[in-house]
Amino acid sequence: MQFNTLFKKEMLENWRNKKWIWVPLVIIILSIMDPITSYYLPQIMESVGGMPEGTTFELPEFLPAEVVTMTLGQLSSLGVLIIVLMSMGTIAGERKSGVSELVLVKPVSYKNYILAKWSSLLVLVWFSLALGILVSWYYINLLFGELSIVALLQIIFFYGLWMTLVVSLTIFYNTVFRSSGLVAFLTILTIMTMSILTQIFGTYLAWSPNNLSSYIFEAVLTESIPSELIGTSIVTIILSVGLLIGSFYIFRTKELAN
Amino acid sequence: MALIKVNNLSKRYGNKTAVNNVNFDFERGKCIALIGPNGAGKTTILRTLSGLLKPTSGTIQFADEKENSDIRPHIGYLPQYPSFYGWMTGREFLIFSGELAYLSKDEAKKRADELLKKIGISEGASNERISRYSGGMKQRLGIAQAIIHRPKLLILDEPVSSLDPIGRREVMTLMEELKNEMTILFSTHILSDADEISDELLLLHNGEIVESGSMDELRAKYQTSKIELAFENDLEEYKEKIDQLNIVSDSMIERGLLHVTASDISQARKAILETASQEDWPLTTFTINRASLEDMFMKVVNK
Repeated sequence: MQFNTLFKKEMLENWRNKKWIWVPLVIIILSIMDPITSYYLPQIMESVGGMPEGTTFELPEFLPAEVVTMTLGQLSSLGVLIIVLMSMGTIAGERKSGVSELVLVKPVSYKNYILAKWSSLLVLVWFSLALGILVSWYYINLLFGELSIVALLQIIFFYGLWMTLVVSLTIFYNTVFRSSGLVAFLTILTIMTMSILTQIFGTYLAWSPNNLSSYIFEAVLTESIPSELIGTSIVTIILSVGLLIGSFYIFRTKELAN
Repeated sequence: MALIKVNNLSKRYGNKTAVNNVNFDFERGKCIALIGPNGAGKTTILRTLSGLLKPTSGTIQFADEKENSDIRPHIGYLPQYPSFYGWMTGREFLIFSGELAYLSKDEAKKRADELLKKIGISEGASNERISRYSGGMKQRLGIAQAIIHRPKLLILDEPVSSLDPIGRREVMTLMEELKNEMTILFSTHILSDADEISDELLLLHNGEIVESGSMDELRAKYQTSKIELAFENDLEEYKEKIDQLNIVSDSMIERGLLHVTASDISQARKAILETASQEDWPLTTFTINRASLEDMFMKVVNK
């Protein structure tokens, strides 16, 4: 019941500060940017002056699965940045402004407080992601070739896990630090470090969450679910839940006022 | 039985001791003022009592709860600079606070409307966003959110210090009303506020409680009433006469007034006035100056 109160408050807040409008919009734009620009590239080149005479330039034909990867690539860079920026102050900001003093001096369980933040962000992120990938799927079908509904659902589900990890990481740093800038910086830094480690020690880190996109590509291309995708998903879920539980413990040890 | 009992409470930040071995307790139904200059540790004590800070050492016991248990259900707290969700309306914030303290939705709504009336926020204003509220309105809303769940103890950190005279009066009146319903512990550095509404005082200096007791007890203890006299002509002449009365412990002339200190002020008054009427002194001023809380505070702190 207390969780509901906190959760409803988060949802209302995100509605009043228009996150429910701009986050889905930005995610949709990011999702369809690559499919559309790749398809219309010849026309775009033409309109900006074309190629020098005599040049023959073969534009590659993209497979639907390749276009999916482009979309996920955009989401993994700019999309992640947007999500981190949107959630960097969710707890840190409340502690800085002091409003958390009024909330947490009520008999509020810290677990409920963090869980409400986490789940309300996930609802927003998953909703935006589903919408973005749905629109991207529509354009891929229209412009590049058929992609099944099963593939669409798979992409949303497995890529959603990656975004869940990003949100969990942000929540985790939110409980540690009071400065939202630092939260954003460390979240991005952690994701980058994970990506570099995955590239260097690729053979040992086959189930690194950073590989989700490439396994999704494989799944869409082969129309089957590779076992690595399952393993990576499990690792991603465990990491997210682990970060969440870690946040509970860290928050409990924190002093809630200066 | 004491409502709250604080034993050897200390709070240190690194080498800095904010609160040092503080002991106090108080009964249900009292209004207690925590007085001290800025930086004395008032806010730290209140935040520790409310559970926002963890004591470095020492215990806090609330009524018959276990030592250091979570007492948040029983207390209401208003920080010195409360900050709200500016995007919520005042009414929404009160309902939200009530629900957090385990009131049902209906109860929370009922209680919110009741409190809005009590704190004098009109229906129109209660449906406006808090970001548009004035300082006084925010402070009153802050008190309302603190008492929404009918706590046994209300903790207010400098509830009136930042307000203009009108806002201050409104909050003081509200506190006066609440005194009948719950125990109030509030901090202030404005001594007259403490004088006005509190039953008991805790004087805090450099993280330690240097004096405590009821207003009257402290007055009696630090009472050094003085009689101030002025005459139409030379004060020196009367100073000698008064010194000879044998009731005076000290007398001096300062700023055109003859200041007389006596151990028994009523006896001194009687003796001086009798002599003055017998000898027909040209008296122009006769004042008994009771020590103010300020004087007392300075005395305790400089001890």
